[in-house]
Amino acid sequence: MDRVRLSFELNGQRQELSIESDTPLLWVLRDVLNMNGTKFGCGMGLCGACTVHIDGEPVRSCSMPINAVANRRVTTIEGLAADGKHPLQRAWVAENVPQCGYCQSGQIMSAAALLSKNPDPTDADIDSAMSGNLCRCGTYGRIRKAIKSASKNASKSVAGLAVNSWEPGESAS
Amino acid sequence: MSLSRREFIRNFSIAGGGLTLGFTLNAIAGPTAAGDLQPNAFLRITPQGEIIVQIHKVEMGQGTVTGLVTLIAEELEADPASVRYEMAPVDDAFTDPEYRMQITGGSNAIRVYYRPLRETGAAARAMLLAAASARSGLPTAQLQAERGRITSADGRFAYNYGELAAEAGKLPVPENPPLKAAADFRLIGKLDQRLDTPPKVNGSARFGIDAPLPETLVAVVVRPPVARGAMTGYDDSKARDLPGVHSIVAIDAGVAVVASNYWRARKAAEAVTLQWEAGDSALTDSDAIDAALTDALNGDSFATIRDDGEAPEAAPAQALDAEYSVPFLAHATMEPMNATVDPISREVWVGTQAPDITSSFAALGLGVEADEITVHNQFLGGGFGRRSMPDHVLEAAQVAAAVGKRVKLVWSREDDTQHDFYRPPMKSRLSAGLDQSGQVVSWRHRLAGPSLMQSTVDAMAPAIMPGWIPDFLIDFGAGLAGRKDNSSVEGADELPYAFGHIQVAYRNVETPVPLGFWRSVGHSHTAFVVESFVDELAHAAGVDPVAFRRRYLAADSRHRQVLDRVAELSNWGNAPAGHYQGVAVHESFHTLVAEVVEISMQGNTPKLERAFCAVHCGRAVNPDVVRQQMEGGMVFGLCAALKGEITLRDGAVQQGNFHDYPLLRINEVPEIEVAIIDSDAAPTGVGEPATPPAAPALGNAIFAATGQRLRQLPFKLS
Repeated sequence: MDRVRLSFELNGQRQELSIESDTPLLWVLRDVLNMNGTKFGCGMGLCGACTVHIDGEPVRSCSMPINAVANRRVTTIEGLAADGKHPLQRAWVAENVPQCGYCQSGQIMSAAALLSKNPDPTDADIDSAMSGNLCRCGTYGRIRKAIKSASKNASKSVAGLAVNSWEPGESAS
Repeated sequence: MSLSRREFIRNFSIAGGGLTLGFTLNAIAGPTAAGDLQPNAFLRITPQGEIIVQIHKVEMGQGTVTGLVTLIAEELEADPASVRYEMAPVDDAFTDPEYRMQITGGSNAIRVYYRPLRETGAAARAMLLAAASARSGLPTAQLQAERGRITSADGRFAYNYGELAAEAGKLPVPENPPLKAAADFRLIGKLDQRLDTPPKVNGSARFGIDAPLPETLVAVVVRPPVARGAMTGYDDSKARDLPGVHSIVAIDAGVAVVASNYWRARKAAEAVTLQWEAGDSALTDSDAIDAALTDALNGDSFATIRDDGEAPEAAPAQALDAEYSVPFLAHATMEPMNATVDPISREVWVGTQAPDITSSFAALGLGVEADEITVHNQFLGGGFGRRSMPDHVLEAAQVAAAVGKRVKLVWSREDDTQHDFYRPPMKSRLSAGLDQSGQVVSWRHRLAGPSLMQSTVDAMAPAIMPGWIPDFLIDFGAGLAGRKDNSSVEGADELPYAFGHIQVAYRNVETPVPLGFWRSVGHSHTAFVVESFVDELAHAAGVDPVAFRRRYLAADSRHRQVLDRVAELSNWGNAPAGHYQGVAVHESFHTLVAEVVEISMQGNTPKLERAFCAVHCGRAVNPDVVRQQMEGGMVFGLCAALKGEITLRDGAVQQGNFHDYPLLRINEVPEIEVAIIDSDAAPTGVGEPATPPAAPALGNAIFAATGQRLRQLPFKLS
């Protein structure tokens, strides 16, 4: 396999690589760039754990050869929001979505792509955007709730979200 | 670990059975840092004020980080969000008093450690109060602990825990520190957030597969497709010179291709060809295994599990007979099996439910002693029992030993599906008699299937059993484990209904397929069989399924409480037009769960509309974690009921990835409503008990909708 020299934008930073051109983006992220937030689940685009955005579109990075990424804009879970407080990330915390957590990077990236195009999705919209993301812990009901709460919140000021100021001692009193 | 085979079998056989009361937590082996307050191995407070809790029951989604920290923080009077939690190392102090091993399973973490961990926090609080008393000259009655500080009632003194740690650490650890009254709890039953969520929404949570990469080679294994097959030769000539390949080495499991990254290793592995021979068992096809189970059911040599006496000789007014069967199931954790081993430093990075067995397997692979191994446990990307078997650690250690460098071994999804330790298949035959008035006067249940315990003993033997035991004794021990294997019959023997003449018997049918603990273990199939057949009896007696069950359950029982609550929650008997309900109730791991599944029929396919769950788990330490586990446990059970099936052909598993071993997706799951029975009894586990009732509740709903009684999983309507 030929090595190619290419560059792309990753979370706002330009990356230059020399690598075999068939290497999937997932393994470039994980094994070359040591960005471990994007997960390996199936290697066939069937589970969604490896979902990232390429030019804003949700893509299964396990099945995307790196040469198809050249000169494009890639966003991973690490780059979704500079402060890690994207409305979906806050909603995920507020709704206690994750259990084991392994699939959640991919879930959040799929949900973020949905909301960026459709800020107020219906249940059917959520089904269609999210049915490519598997969760073995069965957190689907909470994923749906979190997307809805983030979509409502996204259309308002996010200042009203309780998550940011959450402290266990207070919420438990 | 020095555990004899006999002890191992005994400990595993009673797993989840006995209740352990009143044991003491020990200090960690080795020196503790000067200036720290460390009442035992679980808690350490540094002079800098850091509060560090060891998580000895691994976090695989079931909420142990939150639960265990809560118990300590409650009594310590600390803010749980300020607590630093660490995945515990291998240490005798973390040995589970029921399993006699450091293992996470059987939904027992909160049940067993509810009191000891509160006592740990209370001991530290008492020591801090005593240190503050000595410093201030005030009696402890005039001091109070609150949110990481000791303050005096008169407001003159205030100390952070850190500044008292060194003095408190020199005091004796009180043996029976006073515990808070439940009325004073500010976290237990009240904290509704998980502590491990923040890193799980921004990509920073570290799982085994995320182990440190610099200088690490990545390995994949090409293995014989059949269980217990042996590699006889291989050809790697087309793989050796491919880009990125570091080396290719033979290990017990097959041929390991070691490369600079996963993709290069995987591509090179595709160019390796393998010769192998199958094991000597004739049971290499699903059909043959199915036939062997049927033969066993028709034969004798059953081990009696329960016998309340023979049924009356007079023929019952109505007799029912039915045969049920369930398939092999894979765990399908989202994170495929993986392990990273450094052969020089003898460190292992892995997410494992069984850290001490992990160190034994790593030691075996590296040719060193287990106490030379350091296990760095990580978050588990799902466990469900699969990660109690560290076969992948042995593989990684063998590769690392051969290569002499740190190696991360990663399984493909296909490896994971095809080389699992499977939930065993089981066939059941049930017979019951009803008298004139519809009373159940006899219940006979026979089960036939491979013994999980026997398979587990075989699989773990190389690492944990003393090598000098003669083979025939090993076989004898495993056979003994298989004969009355509790993990094969649990849930069938403890029938809660006051039926007459209950008999339960089990017959072990050996197969070559590796078996493992699958979320809720024996209950995963016995609840389906028992609660479906009870439904059959209800319909035969012409009684509503909820009313029928109530008739045979004690009025003050937890069974009745959850059954009544779920009936109320689901508006039982009044489903919307076109919707049909089914109910099931089951106890597992000391927790009671009743579920109602409500479906509609879309042609020949049931659509899951809504689901309801009532749980009695004693005091709910974290109610939202309980709800999470009920929701997730139910989805797990419904997924198996509708889709789960592993089949074999010529000894090889026929499924490989999520297209042919599918899981439920977001568009297929119902909305789930959970009710927790209010209780101040000691807490019991929640990780597994929601799974068992899901399949029978769904099957009973399908019967209500279609009149078809489906007795085989996964459900297939004709």
